[in-house]
Amino acid sequence: MSELLLRLESLAHTLPQRPETAIVLTLAAYFAGLRLFNWLRSPAWCPPILLAACLLAGLLALLPLGYTEYHRGVGWLTWLLGPATVALGVPLYQQVHHIRTLWKPIVLTLPPAAILAAGYAVGIAWLLDAPPTVLASLAPKSVTAPIAMGIVEELRGSVPLLMGALLITGVMATLSITLLARWGNIHDPRVIGFALGVNGHAIGTVRAFDIGPTAGAFASLGMSLTGVFTALWLPMMWYFVG
Amino acid sequence: MLSILRGFLILTAFLMLGDITVELFALPLSSGVAGMLLLTLWLLLRRRLSHDLGAASQPLIGMLALLIMPGVVGIFFQADEFSGQWLTIFIALILGTLLSSLTTLWLMQRLVASPRERPHE
Repeated sequence: MSELLLRLESLAHTLPQRPETAIVLTLAAYFAGLRLFNWLRSPAWCPPILLAACLLAGLLALLPLGYTEYHRGVGWLTWLLGPATVALGVPLYQQVHHIRTLWKPIVLTLPPAAILAAGYAVGIAWLLDAPPTVLASLAPKSVTAPIAMGIVEELRGSVPLLMGALLITGVMATLSITLLARWGNIHDPRVIGFALGVNGHAIGTVRAFDIGPTAGAFASLGMSLTGVFTALWLPMMWYFVG
Repeated sequence: MLSILRGFLILTAFLMLGDITVELFALPLSSGVAGMLLLTLWLLLRRRLSHDLGAASQPLIGMLALLIMPGVVGIFFQADEFSGQWLTIFIALILGTLLSSLTTLWLMQRLVASPRERPHE
């Protein structure tokens, strides 16, 4: 009997260290977050990923499992971000016909819009005396998460802070574009969709698909182009300025 | 199932290619982004999307929210690191996003509006 207790004790020590624990926790929190989101009737200001992350943070705080151990355990799940980022090339290729028909407004809007999506926030934070780590973490705030993570590592920002910034940006872009379009009498789904994708990455794109398939297609186009364009210009500029 | 695996092989091979390109030319890019660009280029040259690649990329893209969760959770454990900065961060994000949304909508609306109407002005 005492031997069983001993084994139980050693299990309590080793179990949190195992990769499967980290992965079970992540998947369980993910699905619980989705359920909670549906139960709350899909609030636009609180995406399921935020709910899931809060649940997961709660679980990690309750269990004898530190963030470093957890992060090591969940390593192969995070590794899948690499191939998933490469996979984004597929929808990008599928959107090419939209670029052909409306290439002029797209080519003229994208660079200033993507530069300003980063520029305004970094500029405001810089005026308010934010340290370089914060500036580097805010810069890719309008870029879709897998690409933004790559960029923030190049700029030596903080990945967790970037993640928070992405969440706030996506929610804020969705709200402001919906309101501004109504206020400015803009009804063209191509314009609204593109603006949602450029400023609000994946969260904005989900909202664009609610508006309609055209808005959705233009949002994914805007999201991919902003991601690619920012991944190219931002690290280069950071080298020259910093 | 084998189709997904074959597609996954293509994606991972492009990730490796991206890795090699980034290292060789010392590019300030992540290997995932480089791989994505190479894949897009390859698809544009080939002009057709294979079933395998579609079968592997669709579920992976659908899983993106799950894959970034471990990163998102980190903010709860590193919040102290930015303790004096939260107000700045919120102002920058909220005001910055409002301004950039306004600019994009305005620019795109002006450019999409048909230029044929101009001579009447």
